[in-house]
Amino acid sequence: MGDSQYSFSLTTFSPSGKLVQIEHALTAVGSGQTSLGIKASNGVVIATEKKLPSILVDETSVQKIQILTPNIGVVYSGMGPDSRVLVRKSRKQAEQYHRLYKEPIPVTQLVRETAAVMQEFTQSGGVRPFGVSLLVAGYDDKGPQLYQVDPSGSYFSWKASAMGKNVSNAKTFLEKRYTDDMELEDAIHTAILTLKEGFEGQISGKNIEIGVIEADRTFRVLTAAQIEDYLQEVE
Amino acid sequence: MEEVPKTGFSFDLCRRNDMLSKKGLKSPGFLKTGTTIVGLIFQDGVILGADTRATEGPIVADKNCEKIHYMAPNIYCCGAGTAADTEAVTDNISSQLKLHRYHTGRESRVVTALTLLKSHLFRYQGHVSAALVLGGVDVTGPHLHTIYPHGSTDTLPYATMGSGSLAAMAIFESEYREGLTRDEGINLVTKAICSGIFNDLGSGSNVDVCVIEKGKKEYLRNHLTPNPRTYISSRGYTFSKKAEVLLTKITPLKEVVDVIEVGGDAMEE
Repeated sequence: MGDSQYSFSLTTFSPSGKLVQIEHALTAVGSGQTSLGIKASNGVVIATEKKLPSILVDETSVQKIQILTPNIGVVYSGMGPDSRVLVRKSRKQAEQYHRLYKEPIPVTQLVRETAAVMQEFTQSGGVRPFGVSLLVAGYDDKGPQLYQVDPSGSYFSWKASAMGKNVSNAKTFLEKRYTDDMELEDAIHTAILTLKEGFEGQISGKNIEIGVIEADRTFRVLTAAQIEDYLQEVE
Repeated sequence: MEEVPKTGFSFDLCRRNDMLSKKGLKSPGFLKTGTTIVGLIFQDGVILGADTRATEGPIVADKNCEKIHYMAPNIYCCGAGTAADTEAVTDNISSQLKLHRYHTGRESRVVTALTLLKSHLFRYQGHVSAALVLGGVDVTGPHLHTIYPHGSTDTLPYATMGSGSLAAMAIFESEYREGLTRDEGINLVTKAICSGIFNDLGSGSNVDVCVIEKGKKEYLRNHLTPNPRTYISSRGYTFSKKAEVLLTKITPLKEVVDVIEVGGDAMEE
């Protein structure tokens, strides 16, 4: 990667033992739009704000929540273009796994491989770390799962997590509201309420995105109309 | 599809092979598998048909194999030639089509599958011995194509491939017409495959049919089984009436032996 003049890694250790570039990458994530995920007993929900730079932007062309495999979806906080690269790589890795083993890739495997890519970019020549954190939601033989992957390449499994601008408020809200035996419908309501907490302006089906996966193992992004229904239930 | 493969078939050893064959060394032959595969376009879509015999020379290797391969929810492909080649190439392109669907968010088109397959086969200069009948229905309508091992393609309203192709084509040429209904189409395809099954040694066993219409598909595995396998009668073997039983003596093949343990010491090494 990169020509010979940049074959050294640009991400180098500071005297205190930190990788400053990664810290900065996390700051980039922290200034991105809020996104969150909640793992229920029978499914997973991920959601994000979809604030567009201007009212002239065609919001139907923007989709932040992406599908990686039929049973795994992902949302990001941070730099959109960086997330596109990761989504593309992850989809390819999932497909290669399927071609090799003829089974759908387990969620942990896909997360591990995506994290490995992100880590590569912190230790290669001429590249910078990704400026996104991903929330990967999936349902496989081990049940519903939610993982967060950071720019450093570290990943954790979460019961509920949030990232982006409003992370501390959102996490506090989730800590209070989360219960282990939560069902998916409750989780969706909680997700909406959490987003509403830090939302500037009027929340509607057009400026948030919600993705869900249930026991049927089919990841789907809710339509604006469906989101409006949930918003009304929450009111 | 983002990366263009850097190498195709490696021609490094061709000169050596040429020199060896001139010196008299017989090069290993290819294992040909006989097949009858067909496809036709009817009023609502495409129907594909195939026999189910896989041969290894004069031996039937698989009496009920599947020759109609899945490419996309709306596209299927019949394969003739070397079974490994047809399976690998359809699997590979099916995988690429799936990734393409994720990236574009749209249904796959038949011409996309066609172009991916023909580019792959051309790159391998005919050494991937796969002759395919590709059919499907997409936003632009129903399509049917044949693809030859060297990478050339035809677009046809009805097509046959494989060692039984002439037998099947005879049926199509005499009975095909435009605007067939679904049942007429299935019957014609079945008839063509049966013609291949009964008149070609390389084809046999059962008939598989796949009907693809706009928005739905039906995979009729073993739609017709004109060659049922008969097994040994479970009633057992009996003498015919003319034979007279003079003597009956039963000798058990397995000797029943009583083992008496003495002492009880375990074997020690």
